Amino acid sequence: MSRSKDVTLPPFWTLVERHGDELLAHARRLAGDQHAEDVLQDALLRGLRAYPRLRHGDHLRAWLYRVTTTAAIDLHRGRRRELPTAEVPTAATHDTYDEGAFEALIAPLPDGARAALRLRFVDDLDYEGIADRLGISAVAARQRVSTAVRTLRERAAA
Amino acid sequence: MTPLPDTLLESVAAAAVREGLVDAVFTRLRTPIGTLLVVQGEHGVARVAFPEEREDHVLAEVAAHFGPRIVASERELSPTRDTLDAYFAGEGDPHALPVDLSLVSAPFRRAVLDTLHDEVGRGEVVTYGSLARLAGNPRAFRAAATACARNPIPILVPCHRVLPSSGGIGDYGGGVERKRALLELEGSLSSR
Repeated sequence: MSRSKDVTLPPFWTLVERHGDELLAHARRLAGDQHAEDVLQDALLRGLRAYPRLRHGDHLRAWLYRVTTTAAIDLHRGRRRELPTAEVPTAATHDTYDEGAFEALIAPLPDGARAALRLRFVDDLDYEGIADRLGISAVAARQRVSTAVRTLRERAAA
Repeated sequence: MTPLPDTLLESVAAAAVREGLVDAVFTRLRTPIGTLLVVQGEHGVARVAFPEEREDHVLAEVAAHFGPRIVASERELSPTRDTLDAYFAGEGDPHALPVDLSLVSAPFRRAVLDTLHDEVGRGEVVTYGSLARLAGNPRAFRAAATACARNPIPILVPCHRVLPSSGGIGDYGGGVERKRALLELEGSLSSR
């Protein structure tokens, strides 16, 4: 029984029911239709394993996006060659996100693309919010995020 | 956006239970008295909620006590669902299902609910006074009434079988209409 003493985390399934559809769409963008459900299933199990160790209950949606991204990367790696599974990033905090696989994943991208992805998936901002922070239009923000995600997907498939 | 398939969620829940990653499992069960939220921990059913209670509040209460790894699954709870379905179809007593009263912190209230669960079967009724006596304190009928009013596991811990000694049907956490329906279902009260 894993009682979280200091941290108040919502019931895990509340997150799944609230964000599951968009996480599946995210998995589909990263891994394609064929593997999206496997990726999400793996991601939710990784999420459950890590959940009681989270240090606080902020940015949980962004955390689930990150876990899903990691699961997609590992599925892709595993299909190419057998590799030990990367440890799931357990910190949901903004100030420690760069310890996780997310930074490694986006490292090859240009600065502007990385900034947009962090604002979208780590800070959990909508396109208006990203536009605001980057001083560009919401349309440009959406464009930048989708181009960056497409680039990652092409790299993963390469 | 394509919605998440139920099959995917069921597989996640099944794998999570197998791997021991789950603090509690819940399911939503349609019954003649409304859709019940049924939450089960490692040791048994810990919470049954009527539709008037907010589901997120109920699950948060369970999470605060059992832990936040709460998943939904019809399949993992199918024995519980089948027993309750049979009960609402007029067969048997959901008595056989293990219950976990750890959401009740006050010792006497827990003793009252334990006694009620163990000793008052389908077709039987008791008064608050006799329930208090069965639980070991004949004078504590008010505490017995409070225990019933705050019963976290209605139906399985049968507070609907507790009636006031003054006559009539008395109160019920799920509403007097539901109490009447359950007593009629059990043959303790003739249909109107």
